[in-house]
Formats: sequence, structure tokens, C-alpha cells
Amino acid sequence: MDVTTGRSVDWERIERLPEFRELVARRRRFVVPATAFFLIWYFGFIVLAGYAEDFMGTSIYEGFTVGYALALTQFVMVGSLGLWYLRYSERHLDPLRVRIAEEAGAATAAGDTTAAPDAHAVHEGRFDRPPPGAAEAPPAAAPAREPEANR
Amino acid sequence: MIPLAADLNELALGIFALIVAITLGITYWASKRTRSATEFWAAGRGITGVQNGFAIAGDYMSAASFLGIAGLIFLFGFDGVLYAVGFLVAFLTVLFLLAERMRNAGRYTIADVLSFRLNQRPARAAAALGTLAVAAFYLIAQMVGAGVLIQALVGIEFWLAVLVTGIFMLCYVVFGGMIATTWVQIIKAGLLLVGTALLTILVLNRVGWNPLDLFARAEGRSEDGEAYLKPGLFLPKPVDTVSLGLALVLGTAGLPHILMRFFTVPDAKAARSSVVWAIFLIGAFYLMVTALGLGARAVLGTAGEEAAGKGGNLAAPLLAEALGGGAGTVGGDVLLAFIAAVAFATILAVVAGLVISASGAVAHDLWSNVVRHDRDSEHEEILVARIAALGVGAVAIAIAIIGGSGLNVSFMVGLAFAVAASANFPALLLALTWRRFNTTGAVTGVLVGVVSSIALVIMSPGVWPGPDSEGSPFPLANPGIVSIPLGFLGCWLGTVLSREHRPHRTFQELSVRSETGIGAERAATH
Repeated sequence: MDVTTGRSVDWERIERLPEFRELVARRRRFVVPATAFFLIWYFGFIVLAGYAEDFMGTSIYEGFTVGYALALTQFVMVGSLGLWYLRYSERHLDPLRVRIAEEAGAATAAGDTTAAPDAHAVHEGRFDRPPPGAAEAPPAAAPAREPEANR
Repeated sequence: MIPLAADLNELALGIFALIVAITLGITYWASKRTRSATEFWAAGRGITGVQNGFAIAGDYMSAASFLGIAGLIFLFGFDGVLYAVGFLVAFLTVLFLLAERMRNAGRYTIADVLSFRLNQRPARAAAALGTLAVAAFYLIAQMVGAGVLIQALVGIEFWLAVLVTGIFMLCYVVFGGMIATTWVQIIKAGLLLVGTALLTILVLNRVGWNPLDLFARAEGRSEDGEAYLKPGLFLPKPVDTVSLGLALVLGTAGLPHILMRFFTVPDAKAARSSVVWAIFLIGAFYLMVTALGLGARAVLGTAGEEAAGKGGNLAAPLLAEALGGGAGTVGGDVLLAFIAAVAFATILAVVAGLVISASGAVAHDLWSNVVRHDRDSEHEEILVARIAALGVGAVAIAIAIIGGSGLNVSFMVGLAFAVAASANFPALLLALTWRRFNTTGAVTGVLVGVVSSIALVIMSPGVWPGPDSEGSPFPLANPGIVSIPLGFLGCWLGTVLSREHRPHRTFQELSVRSETGIGAERAATH
């Protein structure tokens, strides 16, 4: 099996790996609250701009209004969340991805026989469901090729 | 329209010629390196994160954002800032939900990701429809905008301006593919940032280096007085403001020419960092554009409104002329010519990105997959891609010239964002995250999104025929608040009312591949 091309990778087995579950959970732990936060902050601003014109037009300092100040916080928020996500990914997500790739590669190198036949083997549009129990079948004799590899 | 300055022509044309010569040189160099499909559509996946950040910024910052937003702020004050904020915040949606997953799961087009585990032909056809609708509306809007601007800035005829822009755009894409397009976008992003920074410095110099003084000065030169610094002058209906905000923040995440850029980097990590680079470049750009809009108001005042034209599109060039010393002075002419050339480069980079994304939808999705069942050769695929680019470009040029300068540009841009947010974004997001999502859901979602966006925009006050558009069936100028939920509803209904037959691949494969990058397309090795 070749992890870098994805040919005959046992996706279901990787999906069950604790490392993969942990990766998905950790990414979610950042992305869900961060998305909720930026949407609330942004739509709070938009709704205020729509419905609270006078509040947004209140001058803080010589014509610099609440509206412009809140707009400025949007710029700061986007930059900070972007940088934070980069740092979080590098520290907490990328190491897990490396471990998952190693796990996936190691399993096949050791002659893992649970590898499912690759769905890519069959041309698009003519694909039939693998027979029940295909996941337990031995690896396909010839490595399956992606459709585009036939070119 | 009369050119702004009589002797501007030669100088502006000279700078135009220089930009064109450099970009055509790059195109020649790129054409030698464009042989495979991966090179044609994805620049061999050899673009670095930083380069892609600049290219995304160059692909995204259109003449509409540079001249359009500066003009809106000049004319209407605060409401113009809402566009700048929405266009920027949208990149968090792209970063958190799509960028890395697109890179990991796709090859050349958003249809690759959307149809990853679905029944290939119908799902790809639907995705291609969404891509082509967005690219077509956006492209026509940009071409008409280009014609109007170049006509005003250089003094050549509208049709000639559109034709010249279109020919250069096609040269980049047809001969140089994504490699040439990428470098045109990088150069343009640099030029645009230098140009806006230069003008911002000159504006700040005028107001004594305190940016806060801009507000009071701008207010003082507006007939609207205090209202100039408040929301509501351009978007008087609150619901319209919210609807616009929704379309901006979700629409960017459905723009095919932006999402396609993630296929040009070596891995998901580079895709991720390229978005953050783009965020900082685009954020700095919009801050400066806001200063330019206020600066134009402070410097030009009410007297400049007529010269700035409908929508205030010429406010920034006029400001450049005034800051350089005024009309007829050497400084004024040089600065105006430079800004005109920057605007020209800006348009070229955006339209090239749009054409290459449309060529991907036609050649890779519709021709190779739907028509030829993936039995065509790579040689054939690239040939069809070049023909498709020519065809799409020719149609856009023809519509822009026939429609003429009176064609409603903001209507077209609004339509592009509405379709992107209502058709492409829901289907793409659900394909990546909802296990049960199926082919029927994707097809109905895209169709409902496209049809509802177009129908609601046609029924909106700005477009519906009739005096003052009083009797328009749909009260809002921006359809997002209705059409985006409809798009999601279409995806959901189609999915729950049908069963998937013959899925292409499993959700597990998509999930593992998009989260980890295992099995993702590799960079071409030379």
C-alpha cells in the first residue's frame, strides 16, 4: 500500500484509529467555538449596522464612531483567529496527522490483510457496491489504479 | 465618457504596455512549463504558501473592491465599510471549513470535492453548473467594469477596452495556464498594495498623519453631515444589510476561482498558511481602501461627486490626481496614470482566475467525466480546457460588448455572490461534513440555489422593470437571507427523500483523506 497516493488504503480501519478520532475531536474543539464566535461577532456588527444606526453613529473621538471602532475589531478578530488557528494546528493537529500516516503505512508494511479492495479500481459510474464482507477480503492481487492513472 | 486628463493617454498607455509586456513574458515562460493537466490547472502544485497567499489576494481583490468600495465610502460613508468587513471575515469561513479539506480531497475543481463520494456524473454536472454560473456572472461584471474604467481612464472606446482586456486574459490562460495566472495575480497583488499604500500615505500626509482626523474632515465635506458617519445611506433597509452580510461571508467560500487556488500548493499545510497570508494582505488592503474612501471625501468633497460617476468608481483615481497636485500637473498625471494601470492589472488578474476555473468545469468535469466517462487522454483534456477557456472568454467578451456599458454591474456581482453562497457553499459543506448527504441532495441543492438566486435577483427592486421599481415582487436587493436557507433546504430535502445508489467512494475515505491528507494529490516532480 502506498499512503502517498491513497491506493488500496484501508480507510475504515484508519477511521477507527484512536488517533484519528482524537484528531477530529481536537479540530472540532477549535473550529466549532471559533466559527460560532466569529459568526456572532460579525453578525452582531451587521445587525447593529442595520438596526441601531444612531448607536453606531455615536462619536467616540471627533467623528471616529462606534461603528468604525467595531469595524476595526473585525479586522483584529480575523487576523488573531487566523494566526491562532495556524499555531493550534501546528501544535495539536499536525503531530497527530503524522502519527496517523505512520500507523496507516506500518499496518500495510506488516502485511495487513484487512485492506479493502480499492474503490478506485472501478471506473466512475460503473461502480457496484463491494460484496458484503469485502472489508475482510485479502488485498486485491494487482494494486488498483485510480481512474486518472489509466491515462 | 471623457478621459480625465487630455495628455494622460500616452503615459497611462505606456505603463499599461509595461505591465502587459512583463505578464506576457511570464506567460511565455509558463507555457514551456505547462504540459500536464496538473500543470495547466494546478501549476504542478508547486506554489508555496506565501506565493499562494499573494495569489489569493490578487485573485480576490477585484476592481470592484478597490474602486467600488472606495467609491461607496466616498459617496455613502459607513455602508461601504460593511462590504470591506464582509469580504474579509469571509476568509475565516474558508480557513476553518474548507481550505485544507479542499486541498486534501480535490484535484483541479470544486466538483472533485463535491462529487468525491457521490455518483460522479450527476454530482459533477451539478457542481459544474454552480461553477459556471458564478464564473459567468462575475466575469461579465468584471469585463463591463473593465471597459467602463479603461474608457474613462485612457480614453479608448468601450468595446475596444473590453476586447483588449479579454484578449490578454485569454493569452494568459490558454498559453500559460495556472502558472501564468498565478504569477499575474501575484504581481497584481503587489502592485495594488503598493498603489493603495502610496495613496494612503499621501492622504495621511494631507490630514497631518493622524488617521482619526480623517473622520471629522470627511464629515465636514459631506452634505449628509453626521449621517455620513452612520450606517443606512446606501442600505436603508436593515434586512437588506443582514442579507448582504450573509451573502458576503458565505459567498466567498463558494467562489470557484478562489477555492481552485488551494489545489496549486503542495499540501494542506501550505493551503492553511496561504489563507492566513491572504487574510493579512487583504485586511491591510481593505483598511487602506477605507482610508482612501474617507480621504476622497475629505479631499474632493461634494464637488467630486459628479466626476466620480455612478457608484463613485472614479473616486480613487480622482483622489490620486488631486494628491499628485491636481489635474494638468505632472504629479497629478503621473499618479493618475499609475493608479489607472494598477486598476487594469487588477482586472486582468481576476478575469484570468475566473476563466481558468470555468475551463476546469467545462473540460475536467463536463467533458472528461460526464461526456467521456474518464476515457479521454490527458492530452485531450488539456486541449478541451484551452478550447473551453477560449469559448467562455469569447462569450463573456461578446455579452459585455453587446450589453454595453449600461449593463448593471452590481447586479451581476450580487448574482455571482448569491449563487456562490446559495448553491456552491451548502452543497460543498454538506458533502464534506454530513455522512448521509447524497447525489440527489447535491443536485437538488445546487439547482434550488442557482434558480432561487437568479429568480430573486430578477424580482428585486434594482432589476425588476418599472418606474422606481416600486412594484417589485421581492423587496430586497440582496437575496441571500432567503436563497441561502433555500439552498440548504434543497440539499436536505433531496437527501432525505432519496436513497443513494452506487456511491463512488465511502464517507470514511473522504473523512480520513480530507482530515489527514493521506492519499491526497502530490506535487508534480520534475
